[in-house]
Amino acid sequence: MTAVIRNTWVLTALCLATVASGAVHANAYREKDKISKIANSSMTVTPPRDWNRLTIKPGKYAEVWTLDGEQLNDVTFYGGVEPGTPLLRERNKKRDPLPKFTTTTLLVEVPELLEGTYRAHKKIGSFTLTNTQPGQFLGRDGVHFTYDYTDQDDLPRKGEARAVLIDKKLYMVTFDAPRLHYFNRTLSDFRTLADAAKIAK
Amino acid sequence: MSGITRWIALWLCAIVLITNSGIAQERTAVKQGFELSANSGKKILLIRPKVSVGEQSTGGLFEPNADWTDKARKNLDAALFKKQGALGNTVLVSPEAYGDQALVSEEYTNLFGAVASAVVNYQFFVGNRLPTKKRDNKAGVFDWSLGEGVRNIPGAQGADYALFIYNKDAYGSTGRKLLQIAAALGPGLAVKSGEHLGYAGLVDLKTGELLWLNADAAMGGDVREIDGAEKRVGQLLEEFPGSVEAVEKAKQP
Repeated sequence: MTAVIRNTWVLTALCLATVASGAVHANAYREKDKISKIANSSMTVTPPRDWNRLTIKPGKYAEVWTLDGEQLNDVTFYGGVEPGTPLLRERNKKRDPLPKFTTTTLLVEVPELLEGTYRAHKKIGSFTLTNTQPGQFLGRDGVHFTYDYTDQDDLPRKGEARAVLIDKKLYMVTFDAPRLHYFNRTLSDFRTLADAAKIAK
Repeated sequence: MSGITRWIALWLCAIVLITNSGIAQERTAVKQGFELSANSGKKILLIRPKVSVGEQSTGGLFEPNADWTDKARKNLDAALFKKQGALGNTVLVSPEAYGDQALVSEEYTNLFGAVASAVVNYQFFVGNRLPTKKRDNKAGVFDWSLGEGVRNIPGAQGADYALFIYNKDAYGSTGRKLLQIAAALGPGLAVKSGEHLGYAGLVDLKTGELLWLNADAAMGGDVREIDGAEKRVGQLLEEFPGSVEAVEKAKQP
């Protein structure tokens, strides 16, 4: 059997296997009171209620949790973003570069890093930081901030986030939801989830 | 020999991918216990449809086209006007609203689009369901909401239900079509050219609950043409609760 035939059949078998198993689309269960590691980092969370973790990862250090779908409630954890890297995966490094987290990024600059990332990644013009204040995350002194923006689907959304810098890495959790109905409905679930996040010492 | 084998394998892949993509296509769902008979005396508020038409660039991005959108909007409005009489109950067209009032209606239409998209991705598409909703799905529960704030939509006070319609058409550009052909002939990849999304949903104006949804990720009918828009509206409102079509279908053995 030539290499071409062998490779082609391997491709076909993989294609059939992945579709048949549904593994490509299977989202993960994050069960109440069971500890879960975030994006292969030292951050963990023990959720106070059941959540879903989407299979699709928006970035190397990020993972998305949701109750009804990311369109309606999106909790994104960023587990130890290394200096020199963006928060989310760049679609095209040359044409659509994203701002990078660097060794010189200050905690107070993290909200602007998220703003720049959203503007470039979502290709949106409207984003407003509504509040920034000191606050705890992962048991350390960090920053809490809130924001508003209108996404590509023309739906105004509200967001709330917590971030902290530990050992020159960025740890953050964001919550985004439509300002109509869904933001207020899920906000307390997000806060208790963010409170439950920890980092290994 | 190796060429033939390669082609067979690639076609198998293409067939599987096309078949699999069909899972996420047209589906209708009704909230448990909801029924709407013809001539029930209930009033349905028809919210101004969301219409966006444009081109899908070679890279797959949506590029809006104002002229196409304008044509499609006029065609769809006319087709909906023609269809109203066949819906089985009184249809009220949402009143002309200005300023903040107009924005409320528009924002709820966009929220409806987001909810419908979540239903399609995470309930209709069986392989992609959310684990926390598995029990609901097994029991056939359809539980989605826009929230009680729907009462603030202009015209909601005089109606029982709101009918939302969300349409997005992205016609494949020449570059996209060429990419589709090249990808199929070269590495054998299935590249989608064009996207034709359509959602129609009935919402309870007291609770905000989604009572009926018809969603299709591959709608037919070119909305830029009068005939195409009529075909589209026919598809969107297929089996609408209490409609002439739904009543006739229910009578069939």
